[in-house]
Amino acid sequence: MNPLLLLRVHRGAAAVLALLALSASLLVTGLPRWFEGASDRAARSALEEISADATDLTVVMRPNRPGHYLTDENGFRERDREWRAMLPPSLTQIVDTGPHAGSRFVAKTLGTPVTARLGAKPRSGQYVNVGWVPDADRRVRYVRGSPPGPPNPAASVPGHPELRDARRLDIALARSAAEKMDIQVGATLVLGNSQPLLGRVTGLFEPIAPTVPGDRFWQHNRDIAEVTTRTVPGADRDELSITALTHEGSLRQLILGGRDLVYGWVITVDRSAVTARDAASVVEGMADYRRALSGPAHRADASAQLFLDTALDRVLAGFLTRLATARALMFLILGGLVAVAGGVIALAVQLLTERMREALSLARARGASLGQVVAAGTGAVALAAVPAVLAGYGLSYPLSASLLSGPVTPVVHAVPPLLAVAAVGFAAARLAVAHRTPLPGRRDDVVGRRRSPRRTALEVLVVVLALAGTYLLRTRGLTTDLSTGLATGGAPGLSPGLSPGGAAREADPFLMLVPVMLTVAAALVTLRCYPYPLRLFVRFAARARGAVPFVGLTLAARARSVSALPVLILLPALAVSVYGAVVGGTLEATQRLAAWQTTGADARVERAAELPADVIEKIRQVPGVREVLPAQKGTAQVGYGGRNATVIALDLDAYRRIAAGSPLKVPGPPPDPPSTTPSTPPSTPLPTPAAQNGSAQEIPVLVSPDLAHLTTFEIGWHVRMKLVNRGVITGGLPGLTRVTNNLIVVPYDAATRAGARSHATMLLIRGAGNGGDDIDGGRLRAAVGDLPDVMVVTFEETLRKIAAAPLPATIKDGFRLVTVALAGYALLTVVIALVVGAADRARALSYLRTLGLSHRQAATLTVLEIAPLIVLTAGAGLAVGLALPAALGPGVDLGGYAGDLAVRAYELDLAAPALLAAGLAVVAVAGAFLHAVTGRRRSLGSVLRVGE
Amino acid sequence: MEEPDDTPTLSQLERQAAHVRPAFGEHAHILCDNLVRIYKTEGVEVVALQGLDLLVDKGELIAVVGASGSGKSTLLNVLSGLDVPTAGLARVAGTDLLAMTAKDRLRYRREVVGFVWQQTARNLLPYLTAGENVRLPMRLAGRRGRTDRAGELLDLLGVAHRAGSRPGEMSGGEQQRVAIAVALANSPQVVLADEPTGELDSENSEQVFAALRRANRELGVTTVIVTHDATVSEQVDRTVGIRDGRTSSETLRRTAEGGAVIAEEYAVLDRVGRLQLPREFIGALDMERRVRLELECDHIGVWPDRPQPDTPQPDTPQPDQPQPEESR
Repeated sequence: MNPLLLLRVHRGAAAVLALLALSASLLVTGLPRWFEGASDRAARSALEEISADATDLTVVMRPNRPGHYLTDENGFRERDREWRAMLPPSLTQIVDTGPHAGSRFVAKTLGTPVTARLGAKPRSGQYVNVGWVPDADRRVRYVRGSPPGPPNPAASVPGHPELRDARRLDIALARSAAEKMDIQVGATLVLGNSQPLLGRVTGLFEPIAPTVPGDRFWQHNRDIAEVTTRTVPGADRDELSITALTHEGSLRQLILGGRDLVYGWVITVDRSAVTARDAASVVEGMADYRRALSGPAHRADASAQLFLDTALDRVLAGFLTRLATARALMFLILGGLVAVAGGVIALAVQLLTERMREALSLARARGASLGQVVAAGTGAVALAAVPAVLAGYGLSYPLSASLLSGPVTPVVHAVPPLLAVAAVGFAAARLAVAHRTPLPGRRDDVVGRRRSPRRTALEVLVVVLALAGTYLLRTRGLTTDLSTGLATGGAPGLSPGLSPGGAAREADPFLMLVPVMLTVAAALVTLRCYPYPLRLFVRFAARARGAVPFVGLTLAARARSVSALPVLILLPALAVSVYGAVVGGTLEATQRLAAWQTTGADARVERAAELPADVIEKIRQVPGVREVLPAQKGTAQVGYGGRNATVIALDLDAYRRIAAGSPLKVPGPPPDPPSTTPSTPPSTPLPTPAAQNGSAQEIPVLVSPDLAHLTTFEIGWHVRMKLVNRGVITGGLPGLTRVTNNLIVVPYDAATRAGARSHATMLLIRGAGNGGDDIDGGRLRAAVGDLPDVMVVTFEETLRKIAAAPLPATIKDGFRLVTVALAGYALLTVVIALVVGAADRARALSYLRTLGLSHRQAATLTVLEIAPLIVLTAGAGLAVGLALPAALGPGVDLGGYAGDLAVRAYELDLAAPALLAAGLAVVAVAGAFLHAVTGRRRSLGSVLRVGE
Repeated sequence: MEEPDDTPTLSQLERQAAHVRPAFGEHAHILCDNLVRIYKTEGVEVVALQGLDLLVDKGELIAVVGASGSGKSTLLNVLSGLDVPTAGLARVAGTDLLAMTAKDRLRYRREVVGFVWQQTARNLLPYLTAGENVRLPMRLAGRRGRTDRAGELLDLLGVAHRAGSRPGEMSGGEQQRVAIAVALANSPQVVLADEPTGELDSENSEQVFAALRRANRELGVTTVIVTHDATVSEQVDRTVGIRDGRTSSETLRRTAEGGAVIAEEYAVLDRVGRLQLPREFIGALDMERRVRLELECDHIGVWPDRPQPDTPQPDTPQPDQPQPEESR
């Protein structure tokens, strides 16, 4: 038998199979690449959120005995080579080897106070650390004085007997720092309390901006270029700190005791080299590197305090947690897609093999061996499916170049062959089973089909596994902790980086299969159970007058016309689509909530100091601005103790109007004390009070729960004011302040009532359009002008920023795309199922027509036969899809994609899922009706004679 | 002189043991002995063949007739190697159909039997020409010289001019004749035809039967035809009737000296002595459950089981009693 001939004869079915194989191959090769691309973009954006120097690796050494000290550049270079040689392979890949990424090392003292100035008045709260960098001459330009020279010990300092034999070295300072700290060229500073150093300022410099892009020298050595200001706790003064440059020869002076000295070697990381796939191995590599640095392997510096200072692993661990959820969701939709696509391909294979059945049966009866029959049939299937799968695989490459733009992962190569093998394997198995015995026709008239115990056992196994998996998923979550062995604690001083910490999470492959298994289990249960409710209907139908409903429903209850495969395809397709719609809707709603909680209104303008009236007026004039509500935020002293509280002065009624239509919950204003306005309900606006009584007037306020015990109390905010607790505000006022404790909300005119002046530090703006889309952040900023330290946020901009993050956008688009694909597959399933059973149905109808069934009744009968299973499956799919979020429960944490806001409840927007299910059911039923109508054209005689 | 000893010697015993009486149907080309085929379904067993016996000699052309559901098609499926009997003995051309492996079964279908179904559409692949259809079994068996053989067969069956036509372009009779050529393609020893003329008009039926007969005579192929068609069943030498899964009767035809065809119908007596009495005979004498048998010198008398007032006189039946059935 020639497979090519079979293919030519059954070209219609073969074309359907080829088309399905092509589309499935394209989807399963394209989607993972697209997702990987998005993951890489997300990894890059996660790293770009923090400053570049924090993601570089800095090896920090605190020398504490003579053997550790380094006195020249060669010593540093030698160590640099050593640290780099110790890098594990996973880190070697991401280390920047560009021209700017050469050896960067530095020696610095930490926390070196200026205890005195020779010949000048001492200044308190000044720190001048002494540092050395090897290529200082390329990094700075001297604007005054000269570079520091070699050290020259001073035998004695006149007027300072305690400085006899003090070490003296030359230092140079950044000009801005010298001006801020009032240090002149030629000044000599006494540095340190014990065994002080004398630092003679020989020059002032300005940092030279790096010429090579990616050179992060000044980001790592910001302390050399500019003064760091630190407010002293409990004091009203600031401490100023700068690191001065010194000569290489002075390195020996720095080690002579008394100074807190650290050496640092910066290993630059190429952030673009970090991808989502190797992020976990980078985190593990960093843990290894930390262990290697602190371990006994490094004997020469065994007692030296050696550690790695970087935020890279912590950032990546956070990213991996988000990625794990994204991967789980992607696995879910891809798993659903592969399952459904595989099912539809199997259905198309079934169609093709059914079409070939007669020819192959005849050949088998005429002496074809089972092998010949299977080879011929499988060959035809392979000829249709394999080139199509390859074409889909190939097509994903040019597409990925333009649209998908993702790296090729092993799954891209693995899934298409899997699809091809599944299609060909299913065909081979089906043909082998069908033609194992050569009897041309089954004796279905005398032999009933028995329920296979093996099949029952398999079904029970799938259901039990799905339920057990669901239980595990609910109790353990979709991901499991991945121990990274991150050391906690950061390096002081050298880099303004973040301290490492946190843990990455890795997805559990079994648990990721659970959602798909759950839908398949639901399909199996539906398949087994659906005849029972139908039989109930049949009973009612039997009592009715018309024969058509009875016969139709009886046929449906026997389920001869539609096989198990369509149900196994339809239900997961619908379930995954509906779940996608629910997740998409929830994500969107939570992102909107997060954006609202960030801005508090359509737009917000905030400043620590007062916003001038003219600026407020200008803002009122900005196009799109409908209402501007002034508010004031500050910190007040509660009572006379040390307790501070955040105070927000705001007209809550007006704010309610501003926030109307948003998910923000704004409490009613505190009612005024009965003495002033006895009958004012909480929701009415406060009357403008007379301020003549000044501070004697009690001001009604809302307080956070921790202040609820205070009934009447005073605060010091501009002036002393007496407040009366009129209610508790729980959960704070998201959007206006992040604090939920120590919060007091007072009327906007509280300061006026207390005898001071009310002024605005915050403007809450309501836009003319819906959702603030009329307000242009740029115009608001323009209206603010060059007023310093003003923050302008708009709802639209915030939402866009939250929603535009690569991973959530990909998840939403992925769900959308897969929903469309699954809906397409679901419809195809119905059509193919109808076509597969067409001949049998036509014959059955023809028999009934000989008994007097009219055309219209025949069409109704077909619809009644097909519709119950489709409708029940659609309903079950809808139910499973809606139940999936609850079933997966805490397993999938969408918080990472919703502006770090916990997703408490899924948004059940039933419109889209119900439309999907209803559309499918309607199309299926319409298809059945059309099928019956077109069957009318065949003559009864010809139908009845076929196959008899 | 010693008296001869009657005790057989060892060699005599060996000769006796070696001299076994010929087994039932030992030389038959097709042998069915007590053949049983049961289809099992949930809780119900359908017995399609209930101990059927059949002997067909090599080169014979017989017809099998019977009511719908009598087991004709099951018998043919068993004989063609497409179905396996539940019990009994079935042997075709020396091949035991119950002891065949899958490989034997395939070889059997390729080399020993050919098959023609009733539906013309089911015998031929619609997208192959008549010649290609005939060559198909040979290709499946890996035979050479296919084109010549196909041409010869089509020529023998009178459809050589249709070698290049597809089934859709041929009449029903031509299609069935091509189907016979397909069945004969691998030179089988037995051809089994299930209602080959069932879908044809009388003229085409005549042609198809003539083709089968020609194949039988010229190629010496043993031919079994299951049919309802009187034009077929009345033209073969032997017609076997099947009832309720058993062979019930045989009709033998011979041509008398004057040229007239004389048909004699016999009831079939199986190996253990069972006999199916024709239903109308049983009805006529109201026989049920038990009968009385009397062995006479040349026949057996069968009487209904009724209380007899006097000692019956088998040779002189009472005038008011029905004439007992006799078997000869």
